[in-house]
Amino acid sequence: MSFVFSEVPHTSIVRWQKVKDFLQSVDLEMSEDVEIFVVAKEDDRIVACGGLSGKVLKNIALDESLRGEGLALSLMSELLKVAFREGRHELFLFTKPDYQEVFESCGFKYIEQAHHQVILMENSYNIDLYKKRLRKYKHTGDVVGSIVMNCNPFTLGHRFLVEQACERSHWVHLFVVKEDASFFTFKDRYRLICEGLVDLENLTIHEGSDYIISKATFPTYFIKDKRQIDSLYTELDLNIFRNHLAPQLGITHRFVGEEPLCAVTNEYNQQMKKLLARPSEAPPIEVVELGRIEYGGEPISASRVRKLMQHNRLEEILPLVPPTTYALIATMMSKEEAK
Amino acid sequence: MSKKLETAHAGTLESSDAFVRVIPVDAKGIEIELESSVEEIYGDAIRARVLETATAMSVEGVKIIVQDKGALDYVIKARVQTAILRALGEAEPDWSVL
Amino acid sequence: MKPKLRRSMLFVPGSNTGMVCNAFIYKPDTVMFDLEDSVALSEKDSARMMVFHALQHFTYKDIETAVRVNPLDTPFGLLDLEAVIRAGVDIVRLPKTDTVEDVLDMEREIERIEIKIGSPKKTMLLAAIESALGVVNAVDIARSSTRMMGIALGAEDFVRDLHTQRTKEGHELMAARNQILLAARAAKIGAFDSIFSDVKDKEGFMHEVDLIKGLGFDGKSLINPNQIPWLHSAFAPSQKNINWAIEVLEAAKDAKERGLGVISLDGKMVDAPVILRAEWIMDLARASGVLGEEQ
Repeated sequence: MSFVFSEVPHTSIVRWQKVKDFLQSVDLEMSEDVEIFVVAKEDDRIVACGGLSGKVLKNIALDESLRGEGLALSLMSELLKVAFREGRHELFLFTKPDYQEVFESCGFKYIEQAHHQVILMENSYNIDLYKKRLRKYKHTGDVVGSIVMNCNPFTLGHRFLVEQACERSHWVHLFVVKEDASFFTFKDRYRLICEGLVDLENLTIHEGSDYIISKATFPTYFIKDKRQIDSLYTELDLNIFRNHLAPQLGITHRFVGEEPLCAVTNEYNQQMKKLLARPSEAPPIEVVELGRIEYGGEPISASRVRKLMQHNRLEEILPLVPPTTYALIATMMSKEEAK
Repeated sequence: MSKKLETAHAGTLESSDAFVRVIPVDAKGIEIELESSVEEIYGDAIRARVLETATAMSVEGVKIIVQDKGALDYVIKARVQTAILRALGEAEPDWSVL
Repeated sequence: MKPKLRRSMLFVPGSNTGMVCNAFIYKPDTVMFDLEDSVALSEKDSARMMVFHALQHFTYKDIETAVRVNPLDTPFGLLDLEAVIRAGVDIVRLPKTDTVEDVLDMEREIERIEIKIGSPKKTMLLAAIESALGVVNAVDIARSSTRMMGIALGAEDFVRDLHTQRTKEGHELMAARNQILLAARAAKIGAFDSIFSDVKDKEGFMHEVDLIKGLGFDGKSLINPNQIPWLHSAFAPSQKNINWAIEVLEAAKDAKERGLGVISLDGKMVDAPVILRAEWIMDLARASGVLGEEQ
């Protein structure tokens, strides 16, 4: 059997729809963030496809009748070729545990799983390199804290949280979520965090990594029960943190902001407590919820700052953020006005 | 003097073929990573062949990742050579060393 | 010299590693590695390298090899030649041969490379005629080089050039087939027919083989190994032909042993071309498996 392979970029509307139809025929939704698809055709009919979204391969699907290793391997060869050409050499994919072996035969290695329903794989041994790098930052102590933050943008609320964590720990590791799906770019977010915390002495700020997965890249198309998406994502993220990252740094505690009002985040915090403490080969991590500081009767949060930006109320942002963040926002808003 | 390389690859994951990736690294020498279904029997022979092929092309400071799908000796050689030529950005190889 | 059997020329895309490694198993008369149309632009270099090594591998030592290279006016043509001549290919297949110039250009480059590397081999040429202009020039093309071992019809491009498409009956190819055959025979070289692309249609394939065999073609290009036994069985000589050939060769042997200058059979004189024809039939019979080795 010979298959013809071709690329379908997001810009070709007619062919894009055909890919969508094919995915539907195998009971999958199309991931909205795919930039380019590779499709295999037999007699002008799509029989397999796979998409590239940033560093993540998504929507890899084969026609039921042709599910043999031959087509899967040819498809993956083409998809990898396209990804490499686009300069994406370190690739990830999320899949069902059933397909672990198929992707292993394509050079992908298992990293972590969630609830026996989702696994994360990568095509390099970069997680080992990353772990090795992390070990250089290890500080021993009874309480080694950790915080994972997006800081979109960095506020006095964040600052308060980190201060509290530093007071209670020998050392604190702060991880900044890396991906660029936020309003503020990673570069800006990272810079504001560094500048806003420069006076804290028992703190390491980590540039984030591909191993702190962002919700934005977590695919949902193959998870049938949509109510499970959040918990599967959380579990995968926390399993990686606990089993791979935390042990390298001897982390004993994880600090989070208290969320009495937001049900989703509260749920997340409760799940985190449970998952990071349950029996495992890696040592347990205690989750500590810290109270939020308020200004004007309301907690200070990044979303509050973004809302004020939208309404052009620069003067009200001033008491919520450190001067460095304020300076950036002021510049951004004056540029916006100039337009 | 070893030549400047970019990341490159050649081959496919199909049966009888090999998928070869060449990645520049901050180290001397040639590092080889092999995955093969016949690793136990032919692993050393394949590694030796990859090393010999890369050495003949005077490259250094590279990691060569080979996913072997039951490829014949000359297929491995061809894939490694193509990947290295691509990594070097050279269209016309020195046939006498191949 | 008696001509080599070239009934089947199996096309093997240089980018299909499985086929490259295994084509010899099917025992076609000639393996034709393709670097041209079946290979995507992004894989021209990898296919060239693969074919370069395959040609030198022992599995292809006892089988005639040809390579369809890219035209010289592409960035790949010359690189292909450098690789395959060094690897010792038997035949270079020129794609899209329209004029004598196309042949001479290719011949010049081949000669240059052979001299450069000090090769004792004289690489043969096979011109693929794939356009109306090529068919019109077929007579000149066939006679343009001493390296030319045959001319072949490339029907897929040819019918496009004629503004038509291929049919089972093959009327659209009649003129081209006749012209190519006449040109080849006039130049005393081989004539080879185009591929038959529907690999599942055995009946249609056999119909076409009967037609081209009847016209006088030596053989045909094939794209699927399954077609090899079909083709070979169709090309097997009849028992009547075999019997005739045996008698001719016996008469020749007898005459030689008795020191006779003239060979005769059933009262008729047998000359050299007839003996060559008889030898060829016996070769064909042996290759077709209708004859034991001892005969």
